[in-house]
Amino acid sequence: MVLAVTGPASRWRRALLAWRRSPVSFRAGAALLLVHAIVAATGPFWAPYGLSQMGTGAPLAGMSWSHPFGVDQLGRDIFSRVVHGGHIVLLLSLSGTFLGLVVGAVIGLLSGYVRGWIDEALQRVLEALISIPFLVLALIAIAAAGPELSGNPLLVILVVALVYAPRIARIARAAALDIVTRDFVTVARLRGESAWSVMRRELLPNASGVLLVEFALRAGYAPVLIGSLGFLGFGMRPPTPEWGLMISENRALIIVSPITVLGPGLTLASLVVGLNLFTEGLARILGRTVRRADK
Amino acid sequence: MSEGPPLVEVQGLDLAYRHRDDWLRVLHGVSFTIGQGETFGLVGESGCGKSTVAYQLLGYRRPNARVEGGKVLFQGRDMLRLSRPELDSLRGNRVALVPQNPTTALSPGMRVGEQIAEVLALHGPPDHGIAAAGRTVELFHLVGLPAPERIGRRYPHQLSGGQQQRVAIAMALACDPALVVLDEPTTGLDVTTQEQILELLRSLRRRLGMSMLYVTHDLGVLAEIADRIGVMYAGHMVEVAPTSVLFGAPRHPYARGLLASLPRIEETGPRGRPLRGLLRRDDLPAGCPFQPRCDDAEPSCAISAQRLEPAGPGHEVACQRWRRLDAAAIETARDGTRPVTPLGEAPVLAVKGVDLRYDAAAWWGRWFAASTPPVVSGLDFAVAAGETFALVGESGSGKSTIARAISGMIAPATGSILFQGEKLPGLVRARTTEQRRRIQYIFQNPDASLNPRARAGKIIARPLELFGAASGASVAAGVARALDEVRLDAGFAARYPDQLSGGERQRVAIARALIAEPTLLLCDEILSALDVSVQASIIELLRRLRRELRLTLLFISHDLAVVRHLADRVGVLYRGRLMEVGRVDDIFAPPFHPYTHELLMAVPGARKEAGRAALGPAPSGAPGKGCVFAGRCPVQAGPQCENETPPWRTAESGLKIRCHIPLNELGQRPPTPNREVLSP
Amino acid sequence: MIVLRLLVGRVLLSLVTLLLVSLLIFLILEVLPGDVASRILGRDATPEVLATLRAQLQLDDPAAVRYLRWLAGVLQGDFGKALTSSRPIGQILGPRIFNTILLSAYAFLIYIPLALVPALIQAVNRDRPIDHALSTVTLVLLSVPDFLLATLLMIGFVVMIPVLPAISLVDDTSTVWQYVRAMTLPAVTLAIVMAVYAVRMLRDNLIEVLDSEYVRMAELKGLSPRLVLLRHALPNALVPTLNVTALNLAYLIGGVVIVEKVFSYPGFGSLLVDSLQLRDLPVIEATVMIAASVYIGANLLADIGAILLNPRLRSG
Repeated sequence: MVLAVTGPASRWRRALLAWRRSPVSFRAGAALLLVHAIVAATGPFWAPYGLSQMGTGAPLAGMSWSHPFGVDQLGRDIFSRVVHGGHIVLLLSLSGTFLGLVVGAVIGLLSGYVRGWIDEALQRVLEALISIPFLVLALIAIAAAGPELSGNPLLVILVVALVYAPRIARIARAAALDIVTRDFVTVARLRGESAWSVMRRELLPNASGVLLVEFALRAGYAPVLIGSLGFLGFGMRPPTPEWGLMISENRALIIVSPITVLGPGLTLASLVVGLNLFTEGLARILGRTVRRADK
Repeated sequence: MSEGPPLVEVQGLDLAYRHRDDWLRVLHGVSFTIGQGETFGLVGESGCGKSTVAYQLLGYRRPNARVEGGKVLFQGRDMLRLSRPELDSLRGNRVALVPQNPTTALSPGMRVGEQIAEVLALHGPPDHGIAAAGRTVELFHLVGLPAPERIGRRYPHQLSGGQQQRVAIAMALACDPALVVLDEPTTGLDVTTQEQILELLRSLRRRLGMSMLYVTHDLGVLAEIADRIGVMYAGHMVEVAPTSVLFGAPRHPYARGLLASLPRIEETGPRGRPLRGLLRRDDLPAGCPFQPRCDDAEPSCAISAQRLEPAGPGHEVACQRWRRLDAAAIETARDGTRPVTPLGEAPVLAVKGVDLRYDAAAWWGRWFAASTPPVVSGLDFAVAAGETFALVGESGSGKSTIARAISGMIAPATGSILFQGEKLPGLVRARTTEQRRRIQYIFQNPDASLNPRARAGKIIARPLELFGAASGASVAAGVARALDEVRLDAGFAARYPDQLSGGERQRVAIARALIAEPTLLLCDEILSALDVSVQASIIELLRRLRRELRLTLLFISHDLAVVRHLADRVGVLYRGRLMEVGRVDDIFAPPFHPYTHELLMAVPGARKEAGRAALGPAPSGAPGKGCVFAGRCPVQAGPQCENETPPWRTAESGLKIRCHIPLNELGQRPPTPNREVLSP
Repeated sequence: MIVLRLLVGRVLLSLVTLLLVSLLIFLILEVLPGDVASRILGRDATPEVLATLRAQLQLDDPAAVRYLRWLAGVLQGDFGKALTSSRPIGQILGPRIFNTILLSAYAFLIYIPLALVPALIQAVNRDRPIDHALSTVTLVLLSVPDFLLATLLMIGFVVMIPVLPAISLVDDTSTVWQYVRAMTLPAVTLAIVMAVYAVRMLRDNLIEVLDSEYVRMAELKGLSPRLVLLRHALPNALVPTLNVTALNLAYLIGGVVIVEKVFSYPGFGSLLVDSLQLRDLPVIEATVMIAASVYIGANLLADIGAILLNPRLRSG
C-alpha cells in the first residue's frame, strides 16, 4: 500500500488565503504602512512647496486649506516638510533596524549553538550593553562620535543598530537554545554538519518567525528613537525635515499654533501605529506572542 | 452493580464546536447509561469526542462549544441545563473529575493539602463528625500516599507523577461522589505506575462503590477496569457492550480493528486485521463515518446513517452489516518469516564494559561538580549482522542513553563500543564519514526530528548530498527510491512536516535514515508517539525493511508486546544494568528474572487475577553496592541481594539472567501471564 | 539551600555586569579613536585650551591607568569634578537625584491603578467589545512617542485648559504644593507610557493563566467564578507582573531623560542631557553609570522576587 498524496496548494493561492484569513489588525497595519510608503516614495514630487522654501505664507499662520499643518516662524509650509521627511524617517528606521537584525541574529544564533566560554563572554558583554538604557546608550554613542559626525545619517543608522543588535542577539540566542534541543538538530550533528551549515539550514529557518516579529517590533520603535534623538538635538540637524526634530523646533509655538506640532507628531504616531498593528497581526499569524521586553 | 434507575443517562447528545465561521458537529446522537456502582469505559482514537462527552457529565464545555440536542441526566437532572451555581454545588461534590495530566491540573502555587481542604470547605466533608484536616489525612491514606500526615504540606512539583495522580484521585473522592469521571488518568504515566493506579482504582471502587466513567484510548486498560465499554468513532457511538462480550465477540468493524491493533504479549491465538488509514475529519461520509477505512463496507454504508441496534444482551452495535460479518471475522494473521540469525558471525556491534554518565551542564560546572554516578554501568552485549536486538526497560533505565552513546552523542566513560570490529571514537565529530553514514539513528518523536521548515524531499536528500550516493544514483532518484521503500508516494517530497500525519512523518524519518544506506539502525522508542493503528503499520514496515535490506536493528522500547513481535534477542535493563539477555522466546518464558517478571505482569490486561500487590515506585538516588533491584524485588533472596553484585547465570538455551536466585527456582515462578479476558 | 545559591549567583552576576558596564562606558567615551579633548572642545579650540583640558583630564596617562583611577574613585563614591562648574559631581547629582526619585514615586503611584484596572477588565471580558476597545486604545498610546505625549498633554492642560504650569522648575525653596503642580504633567506622562506596556502584558498573562488546566480543574471542583479568579488565577499571574514592573522601572530611567527635558524639570535626566550638550565628560560618565546601576538593580530585584515567589524553589 502506497499512501497517496493530494497536491499542495500553490504558493500564491496560499498567500491569498493567508491574507483573507489574516487578522484585521494586520490588514489595517499593512494599509497604513502602504500609505506611508507611497508618500515617502512620491512625496517630493507632489509636495505643494519645497523642503526649505520660505515665505510660503504668513509666519505662524494656523491650519488652512493651503497649509493643512500651518506655517512655521520662517514661513515654511509644515505639511510640505512632513511629506518631504517621510522617506528620511523610513529609510533611517528600516536600515538601522535591519543592520541591527543581521548583526544581532548572527551573534545570537552562533553563540546559542556553539555555547561554551565564547557564549558566556558574549552574554556578559551584551548584558552590559543592554543595561545602559537604550536612549542613554544612543546619546553617549553620538557624543563619543564627536561634533564632526553629528547630524550624519550614517551615524544615526549605526546608533540604531548599536542599540538594537544586543537586544536582538539575546532573542536570537534564546531561540537558538530552544531549537538546538530539538532532535532534528541532533540529527544534523550526528551527520557531521558544520556549525555554519547547522545555523543556515536548521536554526535560521526555524528562528525566522521570531526574528521577523522582532524586526517588525524594533522597526516600529525606530522612528520614535530617531525622533527622540532629533527632539533632544542629537539626531538629524536642521533643516532636515525629520519629524521628531520638527516637533522640537515648533514646540515653542504651541501656544500660538498647536497644529505645527500636532501635524508632524500625529504623522509620526500614525506610522508607528501602522508598524505596531502590522507586528501584532504578523505575530498572531505566526502564532507568537509579542514580548515587549524593553522599548 | 445494583439494578434500578441508572445513575447517568446520556440521550442523543449532539454537540458542535465553532470552527472559523462555521459550527462543526463533533458529537452525533451519543447515548449511553451508567448504572449505580458501574464502571463504564469510553474508548476511541484521539479526536473521536470521548473527552468532550466526559466533560458534559460535569456540565462543562469550552466557550466555543454549543449543545445542539440531547440530554445528560445525572440522578435525573439535566447537566446541560443547570445554572452555574447549581453546577458548582454538584461539581467536586456529587460528580468529580480525575484529570489527564495532574502535573498541569494541580494548582502550582498551592500546597496539595490546601487544594483538597478547599473542596471540603466548599461542599462540607461527607461525614460530618470529622474535621476537614482529618478527612484530608484519611483521603491521603485511602489513596496510598506515603506519610499521609505530612504530604499535604507539599507542593505539586515536589511529588512524582504517580503521587500527583493519587492526590488528584484523593481530591475527586473528597466528598464521596456518586460519579467519578476519569479522563485518560494513566496516559502520562510509566507502565508500572499505571498498573499501581489501576489497582488503586479497583480497590477504591470495591470499598466505596462509586460509579466511574473511564475515558481512554487504550482498550487494554479497559479490559482491567470497565464493566461495560462504549466504542466511539468520529463523534458516533458505534458499539456498546459488556467488557467480556466486546473482547470476545466484537461486532463493529472498527471495534474489531481496534482490538486487532492491540499489541499482545503472546503471539499465538486469533488475530483480526489491524486498522488501516487515519481518521480524517474533513472527509466524513454522510452515512457511516468509518466507511472510508472499513474493509467490509458496501456502497450503501456511505449514504445510510447507522444507528445502534441490539446485537445481544446488553450489546448494541451501529453497523448495517454486523450480522453478515460475523462468520468471516476472525482470521489468523501470523508472520512466520522471522529471520534465523546466524549467531556465529562477527557482530556488527559489540558493547564491552561500558559505563555512561552525563556531565554537569555548563562548561564551568565541570570544574566544581563532583562526577555524577553513571547512568549505565558495566554494559556488555553484541548484535549480529541482520539481527534485531531489543533493549527494554522503564523510563529512566538508561536505554536511550545507550543509543545516544552508540550514535556518538555522548562518549563512554569507560569501556569500548566496537562497530564492525573496529573501536568507535566516543564522540561523533571524531568518527569517520563512513562510520557516521553506516550508523543511523531514528528518534522517538518525528515531530521533533524533522525540521519543520524543510520539505520532506529536502530532509531526505540531505544525507545523500553530504555522504554522496554510495550506489551512484542521482539525488532525486535516491529520494524517490527512499520514499518508495517506506511506501510513500513521490508527491510527499513536496510536503512540509506539518502537512503529514504522525505515521507519515515517522516514515519520512525512516527514509532519511535509509538513504544513507546504513548497516546499523538505532530505533529509539520510534513507535511510542504514534497511534496504535499506525504502530502496527510501522512494525510491518520495519519487518520488511530488515528482511529486504539486511539491516541490523537496535530497537529500544518500553513496550513488551512490540518487542515480542519484532525482536530476535532482547536485553532487559533496570537502572542502567542489564538484568537478562536472551532470545526473545526465552525472555518471554520461564525462567524469568524477577524484574522481567514484574514488567510482564504490569502490561495492561496481562494479569490473571486482579488484586496483586503492585510494584513499588523506582527508588531515586544512586544504587547501593548490591543488586540494583534489591529493595523493590518481590522475591528477594536474602542479605546478599543488598550487598553483593549478583552473578550471571546461563541457561541451556543461552538465556542469561543476573540474579542471586538459581535458575531452577526462578523457573518455578508462574508462566507467562495470559490475557484471560482476551481469550474466551 | 538552592535558593541561597541562586541568589548569591544572581548578585555576583549583577556585579560582573556592572563592572563591564563601567568598562564599556569608559571605552565608548574615552578610548574610541580620536582625541578626547578635541572632541569635547570642537574643531575651533586653540592648542592652549586643548592642552589645559588634556592636563585636567590627565589624558597623557595610558587608558588602563585612567580607567582604574576613575573606577577607584567611583567605588569610593567620588565621581570627580564637573568640567564646566568645577564643583564636585556628588554635590551636583544629589538634589537632581532627589527630584527624580520624587517624580518617579509620583509616577508609580499613578501607574499602579492605571495598569491593573484595564488589564483585569480585559481579561475577564476577553474577546468582547470592551476588550477590543481597550486593546486599540493601548496600541495607539503605545505608538505615541513619549516626547509627543508630553507635548500633547501640555497642549491640553497648559494651552487649552490652563491649569498647570508649562515649565516645571522647582528648587529647594519650592513648597510642597508647587512641587505637586510641577510634577503632575511629567508624572502622568511617565505613568501612561509605563501602564500601556503593563496592561498589554498583564492581560495576556492573566488570560494564559485563565486558560490553564488547573484553573479549569478549580472550576470543576465547584468553585465559583470569583473564587477561581481570586484563589487560582491571580496568585499565579502575579510573578510575571513583578517582571513587568521591573522593566518599567528600567524604562523610567530612559523616560525621565525625555520627560524632564520637555518640562524643564531639574532632575537627573535633564542633567544628563545638559551635560551631553556641554560635553561635560565626568558628569556624563557619572550619570550613565548611575542609570545603568539602577537598571541592573531593578532587574536584580525582579529576579530575586521571582526566585522567592517561585513555589518550585521553596521547600516544604
